Amino acid sequence: MALTKPLHTTSTEGAVLVDDAVETQKPWNVIVWNDPVTPMSVVVVIFKRIFGYSNNKCTQLMMAVHHEGRALVWSGARDRAESYCVKLQVAGLQSTIELDN
Amino acid sequence: MVGSKLFVRRRDGRIETRLNEFARTVVRDAFANVLAAERDSHHEWHVSLSGPIDPSLDHDNPVSMLARQNETSTNAELAQLTVDEQYLTDTEAWAWLTSLQVALRSTAQAKGLLSDEQLAACDEDLLEYVQMLQQFLFQLADCF
Repeated sequence: MALTKPLHTTSTEGAVLVDDAVETQKPWNVIVWNDPVTPMSVVVVIFKRIFGYSNNKCTQLMMAVHHEGRALVWSGARDRAESYCVKLQVAGLQSTIELDN
Repeated sequence: MVGSKLFVRRRDGRIETRLNEFARTVVRDAFANVLAAERDSHHEWHVSLSGPIDPSLDHDNPVSMLARQNETSTNAELAQLTVDEQYLTDTEAWAWLTSLQVALRSTAQAKGLLSDEQLAACDEDLLEYVQMLQQFLFQLADCF
């Protein structure tokens, strides 16, 4: 019953190439733009529903949109940013994505 | 319509719609227009339904564009199917809210209402229509 063949996987130690140059990708920002017709409470409800933020945070973001004309509402990987942007547009808000500067 | 609640969240979680026939006709037309605009590139609301996702690109990701088109149509279809219902589920009420908001912003964009000044200067019938949609949205948002 002595095992003559190894049952474990072959070690890859020493064969792995280590890349010391770690590239940090810039995040993508989801921007919501102001418009003169959308009720403020609707913006808050949409932010809560899509992002799950607290009422306070949603209100702060809505006020930023209202006073500054635009607000950064989410930041992260491009595919998620694009997905959130689509959800906001489907909900009737004007939204775009842009690479963080 | 002023002075009485148009939408009420009930204890069982459903949202009661208290719209008279005139209000329901306005809502029905709004839903129908959202659906038509999504399907017809010549509809005056189509531009606002196909705004850029990433303005730095000449063309947006087709997958995202298709997702937007599908979700907008699905919401408007569900809203249209339930337009005569007295009680809405949460999902149905959300479809109403998003479709009404799309209708409101599309109207504003199509009529050039891009600032407070332009809104204040628009003709009376248009302003009344915008305010009616805002009233629906304001009260419906209060249920969420």
